[in-house]
Amino acid sequence: MKRMTNILGIVVTTTLLSVGVAAAASLGIGTGQLSAGNKSVTGCTSSSLTATRNVDNSGNVTQVNVTSVPQACAGELLAVTLENSSHASLGTASTTVGTCSGGCTVTLTGLGTVSAASVSAYAFSLTQ
Amino acid sequence: MRRFRITPVRLASAIAVGSLACAGVAYAASLGLASNKLHAWSQTLTKGTCNQTSTTADDTYVQQALPTSTAGGTATTLTISPLSGAQDYAFIRFDLSGCSLPTTAGADSATLTVYVTTSGSDTISLFPVYSSWSSSTLTWNGVSGLSIGSTASTSFSASTSGTKTVTVTADVDAAIKAGALWGWELRATSGIASVAIGASENGTASKRPSMTLSYEK
Repeated sequence: MKRMTNILGIVVTTTLLSVGVAAAASLGIGTGQLSAGNKSVTGCTSSSLTATRNVDNSGNVTQVNVTSVPQACAGELLAVTLENSSHASLGTASTTVGTCSGGCTVTLTGLGTVSAASVSAYAFSLTQ
Repeated sequence: MRRFRITPVRLASAIAVGSLACAGVAYAASLGLASNKLHAWSQTLTKGTCNQTSTTADDTYVQQALPTSTAGGTATTLTISPLSGAQDYAFIRFDLSGCSLPTTAGADSATLTVYVTTSGSDTISLFPVYSSWSSSTLTWNGVSGLSIGSTASTSFSASTSGTKTVTVTADVDAAIKAGALWGWELRATSGIASVAIGASENGTASKRPSMTLSYEK
């Protein structure tokens, strides 16, 4: 009986410890520092696709064109954020990748009035 | 056949493994990964300028009255005339090859500056040219063989002499993506006067065409 009590004690302790770790994790509380970067998680592509943009005569971005998007990404949501030199968002847009033959060129519009001169980087994401 | 027995040790192990798995799921959920697949990346842009002067400019004007003449290619001023039967069109372009811009680059801003040497109450409109031409060969008769936009990109008034600067960002952006800038046809779209602007061969540097260009690549 004593052995059984010890075993149950271990089980209960382990369970509570795990739940605690899970709760801490869900709150984003870890022992390590938080960082961000590029990470592919079994998506339709692991490539960093390139983009161009068009401007109107006032120098405002009218659209962003992402080239060579793999056909496997059809149906996924492609989002772009125009960032300034401090990586602050200047405008965002997203669209669902359509079907096409070969590599698709996906055009994103509706970015608002953003001066191309103030854009230092594009941040993209593809989500299923 | 040996029967599998649930012993206290095995039960404890199963609970422990299950609990740790729950912790992993919770951690993944906290990262927002859930069951969705995510791919994120960024593209940093390089900014620069590549201003153009008469060194990289090519210009001419063609004359309806002399439809095979190439004299405009070496003229020091470019005549623009709306006169019926004696219309003159000017052409200006810049060679951007020295900027080493890939076709994935783009113009952040671009302005064209010309100098009106002979004024008149005309509105001078700039129409983008999409096909190649050279000042040494272009004639009035040759203009019909060019691909020229039907809508003016911009315009300026030639009612006073002096420097005129117009914004041509969209045209230059499109030209960079096309791989070459074939410039503009300058035509009087209103008025009745014959006006002139300085050519790249003009003896006074400030009267020659020039272009500012800020780009990203």
